[in-house]
Amino acid sequence: MKRVAAVVSLLSLAAVTATACSSTSKGGSSASGGGVFTTIDGFKPGLDVNGPINPWNPKGNMFQGYNAMKLGWVKNTLTDPNQFYPGIAATWEIAPDNSSVTLHLQPNNKWSDGKPVTAEDVKLSIALAYTQGSTAFSTAPGAAGAASDVEIVDDHTVKITQDMSNPSVTFVRGVMDSFVVPAHIWKDAIPANFWDTLKASRGEGAEADKARAEITALSDKVLAFAPAKDVSSGPYTLERMNPGEALLVKNKNFYNAANVGPDQVKLLNYTGNEQIWNYLISGKLDNAPFTAVPADVMKRIGQTPGNAVVKGFSPVSVAMAFNQSKKPYDNVHVRRGLAYLINRDEVTKIASPEGGTPALTTTGIHQKPAEAWLGSELSQLEPYKLDVAKAEKEFKEAGLKKTGGKWTLPDGKPWKFTINVPAPFSDWVSAAKAVTSQLNEAGVSAEVLTSADYPLYLSELAAGKYDVGFWLVALGPAPYNIYQRLYGASNGWSILGGKIKHSAPGKDGNWMGSPETINVEGVGKVNPGELTGKLNTAPESEQKAIISQLAKAANQDLPVIQLWDYVNTQFINTSRFTGFPENDSEALRLTSGVWLQLGMIKKK
Amino acid sequence: MTASTIMPEARSASAALRRNFWRGVWRVMKRKPSRMVGVVIMAGFAFMGIFGPMLYPERLPRDTNALYAAPSWAHPFGTDFEGTDVLALVVTGARYVLLTGLVTAVITVVLGAGIGLFAGFRRGRWDTVLMRITDMKLTIPGLPLLLVLSTIWKFTSAIEMGLVLGLLGWGGVARAVRSQTLSLRERGFVEAARGLGLSTPHIIGRELLPSMAPYIAMNMLIAVTGAVYAQVGLFFLGVLPFEANNWGVMLNLAVFGGGALTTTAALPYLLAPLLAILLLTLGIVLVVDAMDEIFNPRLREE
Repeated sequence: MKRVAAVVSLLSLAAVTATACSSTSKGGSSASGGGVFTTIDGFKPGLDVNGPINPWNPKGNMFQGYNAMKLGWVKNTLTDPNQFYPGIAATWEIAPDNSSVTLHLQPNNKWSDGKPVTAEDVKLSIALAYTQGSTAFSTAPGAAGAASDVEIVDDHTVKITQDMSNPSVTFVRGVMDSFVVPAHIWKDAIPANFWDTLKASRGEGAEADKARAEITALSDKVLAFAPAKDVSSGPYTLERMNPGEALLVKNKNFYNAANVGPDQVKLLNYTGNEQIWNYLISGKLDNAPFTAVPADVMKRIGQTPGNAVVKGFSPVSVAMAFNQSKKPYDNVHVRRGLAYLINRDEVTKIASPEGGTPALTTTGIHQKPAEAWLGSELSQLEPYKLDVAKAEKEFKEAGLKKTGGKWTLPDGKPWKFTINVPAPFSDWVSAAKAVTSQLNEAGVSAEVLTSADYPLYLSELAAGKYDVGFWLVALGPAPYNIYQRLYGASNGWSILGGKIKHSAPGKDGNWMGSPETINVEGVGKVNPGELTGKLNTAPESEQKAIISQLAKAANQDLPVIQLWDYVNTQFINTSRFTGFPENDSEALRLTSGVWLQLGMIKKK
Repeated sequence: MTASTIMPEARSASAALRRNFWRGVWRVMKRKPSRMVGVVIMAGFAFMGIFGPMLYPERLPRDTNALYAAPSWAHPFGTDFEGTDVLALVVTGARYVLLTGLVTAVITVVLGAGIGLFAGFRRGRWDTVLMRITDMKLTIPGLPLLLVLSTIWKFTSAIEMGLVLGLLGWGGVARAVRSQTLSLRERGFVEAARGLGLSTPHIIGRELLPSMAPYIAMNMLIAVTGAVYAQVGLFFLGVLPFEANNWGVMLNLAVFGGGALTTTAALPYLLAPLLAILLLTLGIVLVVDAMDEIFNPRLREE
């Protein structure tokens, strides 16, 4: 009861401040802009008033696109990982061999305190990124796609070079996807000799190990660094916060400030989806990023004047992954039999009617980029449509027996199919229940087990405690990123020093336990992990052929059964602002902060 | 007189006493019809718990064309996210909830009454030790402990769940029974029993316990409601294994999956288990009210 009361009082507080803010802002609005843009930050469930103004801190009060800026904003197009909207960098040149990227910063960009944004800021931010570790800025020896050199060419130009001993096609993306903070505020967060330490960490031996440890040790210090006030290079600066909302005001020094519409942005606090539903129904939000919504609530949201839905591509699919160290899931015929028994259309209808489309089949790729990558080959793959007869055939081939209408293991022992899901993900719980209902009807005794939260779920999954669990796949657009979800570290393959290393099931985080090589029909014997590793370096012309082989391998071997592909369903309200991205816009994969800074949103 | 002539008389006297008792019960019940309602509700839940799952097929049928269907004759409380009849879920789910409640109540009462009686009657060192243990037990907050426990223990059976709730809940009963014992042991009839040289087990079992039986029985019923709230709460928070017909899971899915607090479609799905819990509580409260009067002659308005 107490919790409910707290939530109610928070909501009412938010309502009070909401009215207060909107009444003050009306006077100051200009003809082209003005107004308060209200939304939620999908990256920050639960605002923390005491969080530091620090983009790396998970509880930090830097909101992507609003007051937190990156070098560029990743578009996540269907197939090309290296497309960006400008951020701190206005333009960029990528070397033809992907060995370096030269960034030209916005010429007239200033921090909100009036100091110019320079190459020094970028360099210091990169140093800070090293302490946190990221794809491009990693001190791990042999990490693919890591930067080897950061060079200030002039005040507004920075050149970042890739370590070509172990290159990756996602290097540039890794660089661009980095936060930039003001050097004059953050310079004390790391020691002055940081770059020397970094250089020392690149070698081998005790010295290098010590240097790496020093950099790692800085991580917590950087995470805890809390500037006294927000000095932003984004379109907005954080003005004030309470537990119900964060209020940001326009940054007059922002390079594109003339085109930024609303004077203020309000980010509302939320801890669960049902809070977002209520905000939407009351018409408070000008935009809400992807939120799982039941059909009836969707209808209700649609009735509020001004509310509309925009849909786009989202490179995420959900699958049921097997732990092949456990019997009988080591047998491909069991996995195929199960795939034939699952009615994906029905599962999607029950679990994610508004936010998903049933997977066409299992390829490891979201169906939209799958069409782009595979073309006509996609239709030649086994679709695993619901087919009880085929399932029986596969189960019999695996040696399973049917006694008294129930399938048992080859030795006659009962077979219990247990699916694990994290309890807070209501769409996964419903989907898992729907799958077990379908399997139970077909004579496979099945049940759902839930874990208290997602981090616990992931740790237990990685520890190999589950037989079968829900697993996000197809996290594109970089093909390597897509396939490392199936044939990456969680399945035993990791890239070390430019070489692919395979660990036995149960070791080094290998919980999926696929065989090291698979005989793929029409392709021959393949090592899917090595093929996936190749995607990291192969030029685009070769990637298509590799992806085709991997899609066939995944389709035939089924390390996972792909259930549905997410649809990026967002909500907008057009009664106060116009210029929202249309259906299928690339901007839909970025926060509305990016829409605002690009000058798309205008007051009505 | 010989022993053989006394015995039949004694037997007939005790039979008459029993008859009088049931007549008294009947009178008490009749005075307030609400008490009859309580008994009927309790009997209904007992029936649901024992025979409920037998009324339905092992796997409840689903109709995927009627997700969150509105209440109708076929589905008095509508259907859930999969198109399964909500009433069927509540009925088949009653067994787990009630069995947990029963196990909890038995453990609470046996442990609580046992420790309370022993401590109160013996006094001295035993009393001090047992009551300090009880105090410590009472300071442990139940729900947070259960939340922690649920991360390592999956409470798949109702008996396990009841066992844990019972072990967490006996403190209050122990304390109350001890104070009752302390007061009763100073009464004349206990003094007389001691004077007759009767053994401690006899005094506790035959003299003290019967005077406290109604109090303990009432506590047992109240422990059932406590156990139902606790476990439904845990399932509602989603920390326990998923079982579609568990009342707590139903509440969770109705609110967080179906948006029952936001729109009306999933409202019957939310209300059905809530109503079941409400009815069960009501039934228990009404029966406790009746018991109070049956066992406490001063309350009888004869």
